[in-house]
Amino acid sequence: MLKRNVLLSAVAAAGLAIAIAPASAAQQILVLAEDVPAGLDYDGPSAAIPASQQGMVSLLEPLVGYAAGPANESGVGMPDFSKIEGRLVERWDYDPATLTWTLHLRKGVKGCDGATFDAKDVAYTFARAKSVSGAAPIGWFLSNVASIDGFTPAVFGDDPKAKELGDEVKIIDDYTVQIRQSEPNALFLPVLSIFGLLVYDKETMEKHATEKDPWSHDYANSVNAPGFGAYCLDKWTKNQEITYKANPDYYRGKPAIDKVSVRRVPQSSNRVVVLRTGQAQLATGMTPKEFDSLRTAKGVAVGGVTGNENLFVHMNFKSKPFDDPKVRQAIAHAIPFEQIIKTGYFGQANQWNGSVPSSYPGYKAEAAFTYDPAKAKALLAEAGYPDGKGLEAFADAFQLSYVAEKESTLGPVVNIIQSSLRAVGVPATLNPIPQTQYGDRQLVKGDLPFAVNDQEKPIGVDAGYAIQLFFVSKDKGGLNNMVNYSSPVVDDLWAKARIEPDAAKRTDMLAQIQDQLTADVAWLPVVEYKTQWAYSDKLKGLRWYPDNAVRYFDLSVQ
Amino acid sequence: MLFRYISKRFAVGLIQLIGLTIAVFFLIRLLPADPVSRLVGMNSSAEAYAQAAKQLGVDRPLLAQLATYLGFQPDIAPGLLQGSLGVSWVTGTPVTTEIAAYLPVTIELVTLSFILALAVAVPIGMFGALNPGGKADKGVFVYSLFAGSQPEFWWGLLFVYLFFFQLGIAPAPLGRLSPMSSPPDVVTGFMTIDALIAGQFDIFVEALHHLMLPVFTMAFILSGPIIKMVRQNMARALQSDFVLYANCAGLPRARVARYALRAAMAPSMTLIGILYGFMLSGAVLTESVFSLGGIGQYAISAVLNYDYPAIQAVVLVITAISLVVYLALDLIHAAIDPRIAY
Repeated sequence: MLKRNVLLSAVAAAGLAIAIAPASAAQQILVLAEDVPAGLDYDGPSAAIPASQQGMVSLLEPLVGYAAGPANESGVGMPDFSKIEGRLVERWDYDPATLTWTLHLRKGVKGCDGATFDAKDVAYTFARAKSVSGAAPIGWFLSNVASIDGFTPAVFGDDPKAKELGDEVKIIDDYTVQIRQSEPNALFLPVLSIFGLLVYDKETMEKHATEKDPWSHDYANSVNAPGFGAYCLDKWTKNQEITYKANPDYYRGKPAIDKVSVRRVPQSSNRVVVLRTGQAQLATGMTPKEFDSLRTAKGVAVGGVTGNENLFVHMNFKSKPFDDPKVRQAIAHAIPFEQIIKTGYFGQANQWNGSVPSSYPGYKAEAAFTYDPAKAKALLAEAGYPDGKGLEAFADAFQLSYVAEKESTLGPVVNIIQSSLRAVGVPATLNPIPQTQYGDRQLVKGDLPFAVNDQEKPIGVDAGYAIQLFFVSKDKGGLNNMVNYSSPVVDDLWAKARIEPDAAKRTDMLAQIQDQLTADVAWLPVVEYKTQWAYSDKLKGLRWYPDNAVRYFDLSVQ
Repeated sequence: MLFRYISKRFAVGLIQLIGLTIAVFFLIRLLPADPVSRLVGMNSSAEAYAQAAKQLGVDRPLLAQLATYLGFQPDIAPGLLQGSLGVSWVTGTPVTTEIAAYLPVTIELVTLSFILALAVAVPIGMFGALNPGGKADKGVFVYSLFAGSQPEFWWGLLFVYLFFFQLGIAPAPLGRLSPMSSPPDVVTGFMTIDALIAGQFDIFVEALHHLMLPVFTMAFILSGPIIKMVRQNMARALQSDFVLYANCAGLPRARVARYALRAAMAPSMTLIGILYGFMLSGAVLTESVFSLGGIGQYAISAVLNYDYPAIQAVVLVITAISLVVYLALDLIHAAIDPRIAY
């Protein structure tokens, strides 16, 4: 027995001798994340998972992107949403008469597999999107949102021709592509910057196509996503790790960091501990409390951005008593916003006074809801529920649902909301449910009566995109109207704003829509919380992007 | 005779597996959520929903889905009869490939933990039974109660804090190897064995080093109930007639203790076998704390994502292993206890 223990100690000591040296000495970094990509196909089954999106944006390149703006107060670089600049596209022209965009492509761009970027790669990317052959056709969805001609719901029918790319995406020459819209739509350029239309390397993708899988979904999903991005895939073990190596031919210059190793560390407390020892250079996905604890840690910096992450209370218009505006307003005045900011987010949040992210073009700040329990009670009485009497009949509706997997972050917030609502007579109970069940009830069934939601970030950087996504009636083109909100005012204004070519007029209409959303308490906005990262203070260059994924190209170790 | 017994047990096991497979197939479809919703995401139009449902094959009648899963419709997709456990709805990778990656990690962890736990618990349990009522026996009782009643994730996090963060004698809880090390070529899937096959002794030592804390954590937890069981069975055996006779006959104390241990081990082995099967899926918290990526974590992820093929496969594989373990236990029983014959 003793001998056995001695032997184990010896083995442990020998192992210590080869323990990892800090990775910062070389230009390589170790990133600790909640997860690593489950797939790299943006039309595949794992595209909705943020870790998968992180993988896609590391390997693939967009046609356009937002210009870099100045850093914010915590040193994180911000995008300039007023200026879209070329990535794989060098410049573009737009002909309003024919609704046609002419994209002049960048020359001399090389991918990881040696392929040279040209017009065929762009056409391939759109043809693949229109084929809707993947499990979740995000490429088609974005093209549809941007009104690219032919990208209609007809692709889901039985006519194979409807799935084929026609002359809406036309190759003019090796470095010129024309894309035609079916109507004027300001979302065209913004959607080209989104992960769901990143450009694939046609040559390599086709090498891995099979008769059964002509668009190489299996390859992109499980092996590699070949493109023209800053990094190339080095090693990938799903559920464990992914390693990227710098693309030496990257058209914006070879990345400063040669190798990025991302490890899945499920326990956020372990991410904190390892980061503090200096063995890792970047950690993501911690709780607000953990980020707060790292703020004073030696050698660690915490960066945060009020970007597009927020928390709101979801009240379903199809569930009584939430169809009563006075009940909605009463609940709005029963929320202790400051306490949530202080206790739930350790000060790293602001009260949200709108319906779209405040950083987005077209956002309009509305008058804030104030925490006023007396007013909440008065509104409940006006609604016919003095001191909450009568609301017990809606016990099921007042089950405040939230994603159980987010308990460590949302737990404090939902408890504050529940106790505040109970204080004014609203019989709220807590209902944590798994993410998939939450998504099913929110997105597909639309029958979630009452919930706290902190995961709706419109990835298209435009107030109109957010409005179409969340607030337009489903029969008027609404995409994800989870609270079954329906307003003729909003629908009519959006129908005009969507195709309004004059930017100023469009912005004005979007502002009117936001006024209406606030008046109706379409959502009850609570806070905009900071997207945060913790990293070695030697790591420089961190920038924020609307998909909240880090671009390793921006980083360098000093 | 033994061959007949083993064959019979395998036949019964196969019937159990088939029954379980069909039961699990239907039971998971009673879960209160639709897996298609995870795919459609923000694009939840009726057309996109239908497309996603078709991709998953859940647009077809339930019995047709079962027939495909069992392998009676290989033209649509290979099934169990063709040796396929399906394709994960989250990753798009064949489930067989994923289980082949995750299961060895857990088997390695659980097996090493059991070896260590037995090495510690059996002598301690024996010692307690041989010295009943003494201070050492009370100490053993407190230890076994303490070790068995604390959750493993709590101990795991505490050990990480103490041995990695404070003392620096354990590696970071970042999985099987340090991030910058390359794993050996996969032959068996067991990192330690593959490292030896590849002749990479440094990787072998590193893999053991990374297993040190998780194995200590699990062995610490497992040793509690094993100590209690060994102690109780040993105490009971020491009071049995054959031990009294052996003592009266003047046999040396050590020899009597060996006899008693043999009698005590038979019921203890049952507990150990049950614990082993349980820990294959129950090691999830330890796997999570140490980022090991084992079958427990895979199972949790499958359940949370309503990944039906993965859930079905995990249940099937764990059940099959448990059945084999139970069979092995029965055979060990027969070897230990001369009264049992097949």
